[in-house]
Amino acid sequence: MKPTITVIPVAVLLMAVSLAHGAATNQIGIVKTMVGEVVIARSGGTIRAAPNLKLYEGDIVRTGANGKAGLILEDDTVISLGTNGRFAIESFRFEPSEKKLSLVARIFQGTVSFICGQIAKLAPNRVHIKTPYATVGVRGTHVLVRVD
Amino acid sequence: MCKIVRLPLIIFLITLATGCTKSTLVALAPDPDGNIGRISVGNEAGSVAIDSAYQATTITGAKEQPTAPEQLSKEALDKMFAQALSIEPERPQHFLLYFEKDTTLTPESLLLLPRIIAAIHERTSEYISVIGHTDTLGTRDYNMSLSLSRALAVKEMLVRQGVASNTIQTTSHGKENPLIATADNVFEPRNRRVEVVVR
Repeated sequence: MKPTITVIPVAVLLMAVSLAHGAATNQIGIVKTMVGEVVIARSGGTIRAAPNLKLYEGDIVRTGANGKAGLILEDDTVISLGTNGRFAIESFRFEPSEKKLSLVARIFQGTVSFICGQIAKLAPNRVHIKTPYATVGVRGTHVLVRVD
Repeated sequence: MCKIVRLPLIIFLITLATGCTKSTLVALAPDPDGNIGRISVGNEAGSVAIDSAYQATTITGAKEQPTAPEQLSKEALDKMFAQALSIEPERPQHFLLYFEKDTTLTPESLLLLPRIIAAIHERTSEYISVIGHTDTLGTRDYNMSLSLSRALAVKEMLVRQGVASNTIQTTSHGKENPLIATADNVFEPRNRRVEVVVR
């Protein structure tokens, strides 16, 4: 009988702790800086970007003829996009305690500066940037890609 | 050839000729701390590795082998990537907080709280993480639970200072993201920390 009485309060406590910290964390990053025309394609629609806009896995960031954008991801990866760009985060996993670490980005066109964050430090073989003609395996630290 | 066919044929041939000049360039540069890493660039035709600053490879087709690394200058790359570099955000700022016992901050760490608040305002940050970390000593359950409750305690301190609760995410990385690498089952107080990341 004693185990039952002590298990329930502990379970409630653990649940409360996990609910408190688990709220709404599908977010993988933000648009931090931008000028000009920047839009996000997401789930079949498009959203005009603004500073502090939340980013999610699968988002495609597009910059217009006068648009530029700077993104920060949850693991400190910093990505900067020049004009006429199209860039996507295809997969992002930053859960070190579960040993789930990966970052796959895709550059369709444009100029991109990519500064690695903690995922590259913790799992250097799990960061990749796909381009139309080749895939870049990134073990660190600062990659510059121009896709014509 | 009849006149109707000639013009479209010319346009087609020009498109074919100019279409073949598309290429992709991949270069490696130092990070803001001056560290150089390593990249590999590959497709079905082959791959190259780059581990020196300002070296680049060019690929002209999905079945074309990436070119051998070419040494470029910092100036040339700065110019090529000027637009992107001009919009580069400031890197996230990390603060390390330590505890006396349970969820009581050390006096030194208490002094960091106003600096964290100042950074949040300076950056108009709406994206803050508070992350608990442990060393490799003790059971996983105990460590996860303690590091998480410490992270929640720090979040509460920030919220009491006026930071919006929905701008702060809390989590624990357990022992998997240490400040100082150690073997298993090693007491390392520098790893037993809460990191606040202000973006």
